[in-house]
Amino acid sequence: MVAIDTLIAVAVDGLAFGVFLALLGVGITLVYGLGDVLNLAIGAFSVLAVIFTTALIEQGFGLVVAMVAGLLGVALLGLAVDRTLLSLVYRSEGEERILLGIFTTLGLTIFIDGTMTNFYPSRYNLPVDTGVFSLGGVGVTGGSLVIIAVGLVAIGVVFAFLRGTFIGKATRTVFQDERGARLVGVNPRGIRTLIFVLSVTVAGLAGLVFAIGSNVSVASGFEFTVLALIVSIVGGVRSLTGAVAAGVFLGVVNEFANFFVGSYVATIILFGTAIVVLVAKPEVIS
Amino acid sequence: MNWLPGNSARDLTVLGLLLVVAPLPVLGSTYYEGVLAHFVIFAMLAVALNIVFGETDQLFLFMGGLAGIGAYGTALLTDWLGVTAWLTLPVAALFAGLVGLSVSWISAKRKFTVVLISILTLNLQFVISEVLVGAREYTGGSTGFSYQYFSMDAIAETVGVNETLVLYYLMVLLLLALLVGYIALVHSRYGVAFNAIRQDELAAASIGVDVVHYKVFAGFLSAFTFGVIGAFYALEAGYVLPSAFSFQTVDVLVLIILIVGGLRTTLGPVVGAGIIVAIEEMLGSTFTNWRTAIFGALLIIIFLYFRSGVIPAVDSLRSGRFGRRFGGAEEEPEDEPAD
Repeated sequence: MVAIDTLIAVAVDGLAFGVFLALLGVGITLVYGLGDVLNLAIGAFSVLAVIFTTALIEQGFGLVVAMVAGLLGVALLGLAVDRTLLSLVYRSEGEERILLGIFTTLGLTIFIDGTMTNFYPSRYNLPVDTGVFSLGGVGVTGGSLVIIAVGLVAIGVVFAFLRGTFIGKATRTVFQDERGARLVGVNPRGIRTLIFVLSVTVAGLAGLVFAIGSNVSVASGFEFTVLALIVSIVGGVRSLTGAVAAGVFLGVVNEFANFFVGSYVATIILFGTAIVVLVAKPEVIS
Repeated sequence: MNWLPGNSARDLTVLGLLLVVAPLPVLGSTYYEGVLAHFVIFAMLAVALNIVFGETDQLFLFMGGLAGIGAYGTALLTDWLGVTAWLTLPVAALFAGLVGLSVSWISAKRKFTVVLISILTLNLQFVISEVLVGAREYTGGSTGFSYQYFSMDAIAETVGVNETLVLYYLMVLLLLALLVGYIALVHSRYGVAFNAIRQDELAAASIGVDVVHYKVFAGFLSAFTFGVIGAFYALEAGYVLPSAFSFQTVDVLVLIILIVGGLRTTLGPVVGAGIIVAIEEMLGSTFTNWRTAIFGALLIIIFLYFRSGVIPAVDSLRSGRFGRRFGGAEEEPEDEPAD
């Protein structure tokens, strides 16, 4: 029989992993909902944020400054990608655009991975000393608490932006009806640029919180992308709340499966869930 | 080969002759013989993808996984039953074929779009990769095992050449057989049905084309072929590892090869494989670290600017001289239908 406090500790770690997954899911869902581009390079942006940040820390910058600068670097790169590659993708329409988006971002992620391995071949993590906290008598890892706190704040900010601000409302208009948005004077292309930059920044943040306590290498990028894909399939690829719920749910399930049956079966459960959802409800991707 | 339409017979003969003499200038160099075998294997993989993706718009992104099923399946069955790999290979390939059949059947029944099929199969690819790494007691996990099946040393000794060369000529035979099969397929009633389904699925169904049947047939055929090639792919490497059958190693490369050469062309997969393997060799040992980055950039460029492929581009330069056999989807068939 497993002790209750062990289960609570596992649940907290699961929530932390879930928040990380939710951030990735939000990142991929924002862009797909807005412009039909399934960003398969999203994990590469997460890894780039970690690499930029650790490189700055090595240069002697403080942790917070380095993190902000790392995210800024990722945002700028996202802007460049949107203005060049994605502009070419947005020229086509419908199913062709979806396919073109998949292959272009796939090419981008392979390009980024192939380039970065040459310069940053090792594994990186953030030097955050968190230790173990006591939560009502139960020992939980501090890193997990930090991840949950930072992630929830970030998700809250994204939702507040979409619900509360004028640009956020304009974004949701494009989500619902692109032609209607044009009619009331919203420029979908401008919104798409803004949202792409926002999404890669969220992905960057996901990478940074993951790097608290875990190692990240260039090869992790594609793994993150695959996780993001699973979250968006399970949550519905156009639904932000779905992405958050699916992320947290899968995170907790994965951590418990990890604990009881091992990481190898846990991974297969993740993919299996995505396959079952795809076959049972193919309309999640449409 | 009189029954082959147009100039196909002549083209295949020329290709066959080229492939037969190709090892002569590098005879004795196991390295270059390996490169040639590698080239033929990837050309075959691209032919198989051409059937399922080119002809029926089902983008299979678990080619590595299907090849892995063929390779590991053959090895495990051989060890378990204690019979020759020549007997277990068809069984393993049949299993891969059945996996492809199920995916095609579900996709066609539920009217999956090409995007959905690609995402579904991508997920399956990761499951297969995960199983190959995880089922350690059977697959040797990520350390793999040495792949010594299909003993060909007897043939090699009789003819007096090394085993790599025997394997290469076997591959060439298989490639030519695949190409003949492909030409026969697209000129049969299957090819006509594939065309009709690709242009308008609903219209095809309304005139009595059994859409599910044709898609499932293409899915099975390609998956079976991937399974067969997988075993030879492992045999050529001499060692079997899960990473050799990963998405990044197989699927990305085969997709690039097929698009570069030209979708729905007979020689496109061969030309594409030639170009890609040549690029790999030119990068050599100096730029080998940049191999991945270059293929990533290549993937972006060909999809944004060069989706028609080499063969259709060459063909449009010389249009009039050659018939439909190199043609893309837009062209009308000029040949008389094969019997």
